[in-house]
Amino acid sequence: MLIKIQIIIGGLSMILLLVTLELIRRKRLREEYAILWLFTGAVILLFSLWPEFFLSQFFVKLTGIFYLSAVVLIAFSFLLLIVLHFSVVISKLTSQNKELAQRYALMELELREFRSHHNLSQNHSN
Amino acid sequence: MEKGKVLVIIPAYNEEGSVGKVIEGVRTHLSQADLLIVNDGSTDLTSEKARVSGAVVLDLPYNLGIGGAMQTGYQYASQKGYDIAVQVDGDGQHDPKEIGKLLKALEEKNLNMAIGSRFLGQSEFKSSMMRRVGISIFSGVISILVRQKITDPTSGFRAANRKAIQLFAYEYPQDYPEPEVVVLLHQCHLKMVEVPVGMSERYSGESSITKLRSIYYMVKVLLAIFVDYFKKPPRLGKEEEGC
Repeated sequence: MLIKIQIIIGGLSMILLLVTLELIRRKRLREEYAILWLFTGAVILLFSLWPEFFLSQFFVKLTGIFYLSAVVLIAFSFLLLIVLHFSVVISKLTSQNKELAQRYALMELELREFRSHHNLSQNHSN
Repeated sequence: MEKGKVLVIIPAYNEEGSVGKVIEGVRTHLSQADLLIVNDGSTDLTSEKARVSGAVVLDLPYNLGIGGAMQTGYQYASQKGYDIAVQVDGDGQHDPKEIGKLLKALEEKNLNMAIGSRFLGQSEFKSSMMRRVGISIFSGVISILVRQKITDPTSGFRAANRKAIQLFAYEYPQDYPEPEVVVLLHQCHLKMVEVPVGMSERYSGESSITKLRSIYYMVKVLLAIFVDYFKKPPRLGKEEEGC
């Protein structure tokens, strides 16, 4: 039973690692996110290779969770971290995006006024 | 405060039908002011109509929402050195005749912001029972938070002085800007006072806010306000007091 879980989780974490590495290689994933994903994959892989720790009475007593639940819990908490991180990133992007649109509008107006002041031909397509 | 340069900022999103009238109205009642239309990514002819009317038009490349659009207007006012900025809705619900009252209050009481209120004074504003209850809860909570009576926190009919303009150019709430600005001003220790003004009901069936929706809206706004209240106040340059 345990070996099955080990294989499944080990396989999944390896796929995750490979996909992450491939995405980095193709420059589809920025390093700042890649590190979190790589770390998540690596930690889950470690737990699939050495399940003994999670079977030890000590750990079970300490946390009250068994192997599979432990792996799921750990994976889940990492995912939670990643999602939170994404929310932070999206918030930042949103505000940067807003600022960019505002500056663009202000500069466009400036340019339009500059052009009409100097009687330059306007090729404004809108 | 001397008679300074005044800019009227009119945010407009798909208001091709009313923007011309609003511009005309402001022109007739406030001839000395400059006019800026902030076209918030409209898909209709708002920008063209406004330009034909002779106003300065800022075209945002896509819709930012009322908060982002207003802030762009304040950024323009800040850059061009305006002393006073007045915000008027592009849908025609604010009567340009009343701008004078805002400016007068701003000047005489030495305020950072004058807020036009529908509910202050004698102006009778008809609305449903439900709405009145909602608004009174809303204004009650905000009044407690900012330790000052605010009767119409969602009013977007306002005038700001130079200091407020600079603050808004730097930091302006995005989600529910009208009530959130009230909290922001309080946090920055800027002075605001409400002025009774008349407003017309919105054109067309804008009462799309059903009972459930309006409760949901209120909860969201109250949440946003509480979050704002505990936010770190923004810091402008060191020489400024407060913000």
